[in-house]
Amino acid sequence: MAKTSIGPEEYQRPLRRLLVGLALLCLMGLFLLWRIDSPRVERFRADLIDTLVPNLEWAMRPVTLASGMVDDFQSYSRIYEQNQELKRELQQMKAWKEAALQLEQKNARLLDLNNVRLDPKLTHVTGVVMADSGSPFRQSVLLNVGSRDGIRDGWATMDGIGLVGRISGVGERTSRVILLTDSNSRLPVTIQPSLQTALLSGDNAPLPPLEFIEDSDEVRPGDRVVTSGDGGVFPAGLLVGQVVLGSDKRLRVALAADFQRLEFLRVLRSHEFEVITDPGGLIAPPVPVPLPDISAAALESAAGEAPTETEGGDVEALGSGLAEGADAGAEDG
Amino acid sequence: MRGPKMDEVWWRRPSAYRGLFIGLALLIMFCRLLPLGQTPGGLPGPDLLLCLILAWMVRRPEFLPLPIILGVILIEDFLLMRPPGLWTAIVVLATEFLRSRIALTRELNFPIEWMLISGIMLAMLLGYRLALAISFVPQPGFGAMLVQTLWSIGIYPVIVLLSHLMLNLRKPATGEVDKAGNRL
Repeated sequence: MAKTSIGPEEYQRPLRRLLVGLALLCLMGLFLLWRIDSPRVERFRADLIDTLVPNLEWAMRPVTLASGMVDDFQSYSRIYEQNQELKRELQQMKAWKEAALQLEQKNARLLDLNNVRLDPKLTHVTGVVMADSGSPFRQSVLLNVGSRDGIRDGWATMDGIGLVGRISGVGERTSRVILLTDSNSRLPVTIQPSLQTALLSGDNAPLPPLEFIEDSDEVRPGDRVVTSGDGGVFPAGLLVGQVVLGSDKRLRVALAADFQRLEFLRVLRSHEFEVITDPGGLIAPPVPVPLPDISAAALESAAGEAPTETEGGDVEALGSGLAEGADAGAEDG
Repeated sequence: MRGPKMDEVWWRRPSAYRGLFIGLALLIMFCRLLPLGQTPGGLPGPDLLLCLILAWMVRRPEFLPLPIILGVILIEDFLLMRPPGLWTAIVVLATEFLRSRIALTRELNFPIEWMLISGIMLAMLLGYRLALAISFVPQPGFGAMLVQTLWSIGIYPVIVLLSHLMLNLRKPATGEVDKAGNRL
């Protein structure tokens, strides 16, 4: 018995070593490929997750439900205090709502007066959080909307209140959101009353720090932090959170979005940013026009189109639409 | 394995254990994917899958053939947003290291085995960090990863005990033979 088993082992061992070496070589090749041509491998990763994760949904549902029930039960147990608290908050909110509506109208009037051309209104796609990355070193979640719903890389993602992160990796039916707390997340922000710009850089901690503040003396804890729109990835003016002073004396941001309970997220459809590629023509004296009558006609037609009352109307409509949106939001809350 | 005798029940066969391992691995990955509100900044837990693989590898390497380990860890690499391939290569290297020293590890008593496994886990961590540093990949803090490895080392005896009690997985006794009659 022992003799017959010695025979194959003599060639099995080198063969085995060869196979292991080959496997290791392939794996390191994959790693190098990822390092060199990351987008292609990341696309493959998105596709793989796309095919694997939705199949788990049937199993996810009871567990998510159970965890939700536990959370709910905990909140039921102190329902009375919560009710009192909510009533108090509602009172305050009514005052705020009134103030907000007045400001909204004032803002719309001022914009109208100044003839400001606003961004086309942001529309959004709402998705449900399916899974989180599971790794303690990466802060990201998977949404159940993907390229099928028109999601693209880089779009901003919010919960009802504040910014949550940005889309990074889109599959057919899923997309991944890198949260602001991830160590790879960098976001240009404006700190509001003082209009200082800074960079919000995630470090896997619950309160991401602010870096590269121009003049940190002008920034106080409690200041509002919104996106600045620099770099052209995010629209400007999305609420991020409030400045707080961390225990390590660094300025950090308490995020407005509720990161404990990410359930429904809005993906903002950013419009394409126009890139100016024309280097600019040579400025030369105007060429004398040979036919004055045609130019006069052109001038007249241009004058006919020129008045911009339509724009003013747009702004008005937009302003009231925003006010309604705020109204509905307040009622929801 | 393909012996004609049916003297062993089906769940004692290596193929049953292989299936069981794949099931357990999928369960572990599934639990990590659940959206249970992982708060950022918390200390990372142990790498259960790694403990499971190493514990089984020391006991019964024939239950974990190379392709299964490779496939499972590669999928984990992709799902957990790790650089694909690198951690898989390190795990394959570690398991093959153990597999080729099975004659040695059979003789070890548990505390020594635990030390050996701890050493291997730390070496894997250092190798991983080194490879990432060489290829200039940004990586999470060393402290957090060290905490995870220490957790894994701490949980290893529990995994061994559970495998022993619930799955009846133990080192083959001296002179034990498989169904075909080969010495284990």
